[in-house]
Amino acid sequence: MSKSRQRVFKGQPTIVICSIVILLFFIIAALAPWIAPHDPVKVDLTQKLDGPSAEHWLGTDQLGRDNLSRLIYGARVSLGFAVMIFVSSLILGTLIGALSGYMGGWLDNLIMRVCEGIMAFPNLVLVLGIVGIFGPGLTQILLALMMVQWVYYARICRNMVVSLKGRPFIAAARVSGSSSWQIIRRHIIPNVQRPIVVMATLEMGWAIMDISALSFLGLGIQPPNAEWGAMIHEGTSHIRSHPELMIYPGILILIVVITFNVVGEALSERYGVVKR
Amino acid sequence: MLKVQNVSYRYDSWNWWRPRSEESSVLRDVSLDLEGGCCLGLLGTSGAGKSTLGKVVLGLQRPNKGQILFEGQDLYASGGQLRQRIRREIQVVFQDCYSSVNPLMTAAQIIGEPLRNYERLSAGELRRCTGALLEKVGLSAGDGSKTPDEFSGGQLQRINIARAIALRPKLIVLDEPVSSLDRVHQSLILELLADLKSSLGVSYLFITHDIQAAMALCDRVAVMDRGEIVQMTDKPLSLWESESPTVRSLTEAVLPEHPSLRRSLS
Repeated sequence: MSKSRQRVFKGQPTIVICSIVILLFFIIAALAPWIAPHDPVKVDLTQKLDGPSAEHWLGTDQLGRDNLSRLIYGARVSLGFAVMIFVSSLILGTLIGALSGYMGGWLDNLIMRVCEGIMAFPNLVLVLGIVGIFGPGLTQILLALMMVQWVYYARICRNMVVSLKGRPFIAAARVSGSSSWQIIRRHIIPNVQRPIVVMATLEMGWAIMDISALSFLGLGIQPPNAEWGAMIHEGTSHIRSHPELMIYPGILILIVVITFNVVGEALSERYGVVKR
Repeated sequence: MLKVQNVSYRYDSWNWWRPRSEESSVLRDVSLDLEGGCCLGLLGTSGAGKSTLGKVVLGLQRPNKGQILFEGQDLYASGGQLRQRIRREIQVVFQDCYSSVNPLMTAAQIIGEPLRNYERLSAGELRRCTGALLEKVGLSAGDGSKTPDEFSGGQLQRINIARAIALRPKLIVLDEPVSSLDRVHQSLILELLADLKSSLGVSYLFITHDIQAAMALCDRVAVMDRGEIVQMTDKPLSLWESESPTVRSLTEAVLPEHPSLRRSLS
């Protein structure tokens, strides 16, 4: 594994830097309670909309809360939930896709038509609809995003399984006495997992964008908790006097999404994965 | 040992509105007999249904009509354990040596797969078995830790053969085993197959379009054309004199040994 990693990143400093940035964001998110200088939800109206100072490096917002601390805690929500969506839709999509591709026939047809139905809508529209039914909140958003994200994994996985299934080594495995389950475990999953994980890296950026967009619309995390998209939303009322309230979280979203895309693109180029 | 009785096979599309016709049959009423320790050649051009018949014999595709009897037992009628036991006796080597192996496995894992499925061996015994099998097909035991991309086509086909003989089967279906190799390796692999046949007493169902390869290995030859067996002979050499147009097309496809023997391509 370490050998292949060296080969991927050799002579590509951009990708090394991006990977380090991603890692750094995750470390910051994980250690938020220890490294954040202030309580992110503590209101102090005497210090509202302060500029940068020794105590508040990035100033304070309209309720006198420390911007830096809110950004650090916001990383937790954005990255944490992106990872949860990533893992849950990856597992769900891969399993359903593998089943669909392996079984074939009417089941395959049914699952693929459902996927196409879901893909026919723009993601956000569908999520808005689902959140509209279940009400706003992070859990609902998580479920809604998962319900629309799994189809991409399912489709890719299904197509890979279908093409693998026709390869002679699967027939040879069957002849040598392997059961369907053994074939899936020994031959199919190992051959699809790498491209799927690579594709998932590309999807991570999208997941973060979606969470932020939904929070920006007021459907995700509820105040006073911090989240980047929600912070941009709160900053809109002070856009003329204090644009930095929107700029800070905006820059962070930009950096995270770009780094994930750069790394994902590089990996997919290396492993020849089809993009959606 | 193996009896193929009146087997018909049709590739069905899932479209229920598409009418079925006899025209789409790949195999039409095919019957064959294969005795133990014998090599039966199945000769024909592409599309003749040879490979489909191979898959039916292997238990991979249930025929629409007819039976496959292996030592008196119907392969498709028997279920569960009995079927697994019959299956163990019939193994396969496919044409495409590169995609016949899982690219992520080592040679030892590839050869060890049938052994792991049927025999309870310790890790040490398994290693010894796969090492012995590798040596039997002309590779070294140390090659077991290599992955498929480190082997050439000929070596990969040897690995496929090693996997096929791992369970000491009674019948091996050879589906164009040398067609993806160059001439030199074709004859080497054919030699290996002939050696294994005499040393293991295994029978072959040798599917090929190459009449010379069939001559080199087979005791009997069946010629197929469009899903039917058009000729069956115990004397493969007699095919050279055959008047049947199907056989003629195969014999005439053999490359000339000398430029003066070139036929005009008019």
